[in-house]
Amino acid sequence: MKPGIVWSIVLIISLILQSTVFAEINYNGIHADLLLAVVVSSSLLLGKEHGVAIGFFAGLLQDLASGTFVGMNVLSKMLIGYIFGMAEQKVFKEHFLLPLISVSLATIGNSFITAIIMLLLGYRFDLLNNMIYMMFPLLVYNLILAFPIHKLIYRIHILLKE
Amino acid sequence: MSRVRREPGSNKKIYVLVAVFTLVVLLIFGVAKGKYQLPLSEKITMTILSPFQGIMSSISNGVRQGTTAIWEIVTVYQQNKMLKSEIEQLRQTQVNITEITAENERLHNVLGYKQAAVQFDLITARVIARDPSNWTSTIVINRGTDDEIAKDMAVVTPQGLVGNVVSVAKNSARVQLILDRRSSVGGLVQRPESRVAGIIAGDNNNKMMVRMINIPRDADIVEGDQIVTSGFGGIYPKGISLGEVENIVNDDGGLLKYAVLKPSVDFQKLEEVSVIVTSREAPPMPITQEPVLPADDKTAVTKSAGGSK
Repeated sequence: MKPGIVWSIVLIISLILQSTVFAEINYNGIHADLLLAVVVSSSLLLGKEHGVAIGFFAGLLQDLASGTFVGMNVLSKMLIGYIFGMAEQKVFKEHFLLPLISVSLATIGNSFITAIIMLLLGYRFDLLNNMIYMMFPLLVYNLILAFPIHKLIYRIHILLKE
Repeated sequence: MSRVRREPGSNKKIYVLVAVFTLVVLLIFGVAKGKYQLPLSEKITMTILSPFQGIMSSISNGVRQGTTAIWEIVTVYQQNKMLKSEIEQLRQTQVNITEITAENERLHNVLGYKQAAVQFDLITARVIARDPSNWTSTIVINRGTDDEIAKDMAVVTPQGLVGNVVSVAKNSARVQLILDRRSSVGGLVQRPESRVAGIIAGDNNNKMMVRMINIPRDADIVEGDQIVTSGFGGIYPKGISLGEVENIVNDDGGLLKYAVLKPSVDFQKLEEVSVIVTSREAPPMPITQEPVLPADDKTAVTKSAGGSK
């Protein structure tokens, strides 16, 4: 199968899971960002070009499915894909700490980018309070998911190589 | 020889990348400010995703019901005791209510006050998906244009107001919850001696709470007050429960305050909702007393009304 189709299927399945099962398991309305973990892991394995592409489509799917602020997640996930894709040559891809550290950094980065976009759009909120209410639970959820997702993406990557 | 050798065409890629980033930024602000719309794209995504979301949500609902059932068995004894005492209380309240209803009816007749009981046509829908984004609060339900759902219809549960329909596809519709930061609903304090009106909007600091904003500092609103929809604005019928005041905070500006409300609907456990398709009544009148006109004026009004016919 073509890699493009495989990655599209991965993204769509992640989106469906994120909007149903993972959205049910929420803390104060905050739930895991499965797509972010997929973008981070696949960019770390495949490089920045792939990272930008998968970030773009993951963000677009998420924005269209949530029907609001179209472009917000496209921008943040594209940036995350590009930045983590740049690190592709510099990291040890099988180290178990890699997904944990990278997903934490990506969650913080992603929250920060989206918070800035929301502020620029004219929504006023307390940034510090927001970090505690939104980013901390998100960080915990994403950390739990980081390792299994990375394993899964790594396996898909190896299968596609063969 | 330089150590870093640029690949041919890498400059071109950077230009493309910068162009895409710029376009996306323009898109965000354009769409958010309502300058452009992405026609159909949202409906297509909803139509394609909704069957899968339906299946996944039934599975996850099944699992959750299983776990809740176990928990309920464990707590059934305590709950039974609580319910019994609550029934006693409710019985007493019911006696009072019957009295008050009778009195109310009598007074209505005396005043000639005309207000038909509002009747709603409801369509029950299942929640098949929630918002994949953490910044907004929407849900997707399994009814769409095929079931005569249209944009701006109010969505409720027996507990209170859920939100309103913002976009409709063939077999699914997206509902913006009152928790969403873009939502605004006209609300008023239910307490008869207060009736303070305000706007209910999503709380920017806590996703599970709402705020009643733009209340004057000296307005009569206290913790524990029940807030209901005011019916102003036309989307939401009057009198649907919104929430209970938990906390009142003074705004930084100095003139206004806002109340933090706990919504009546438990949004964490939202499985089924009802969409108000039609409400059989003209938009409800706000509760204000009609000015008592002198006898001469009254005849003048009737005359002019008769003359216009």
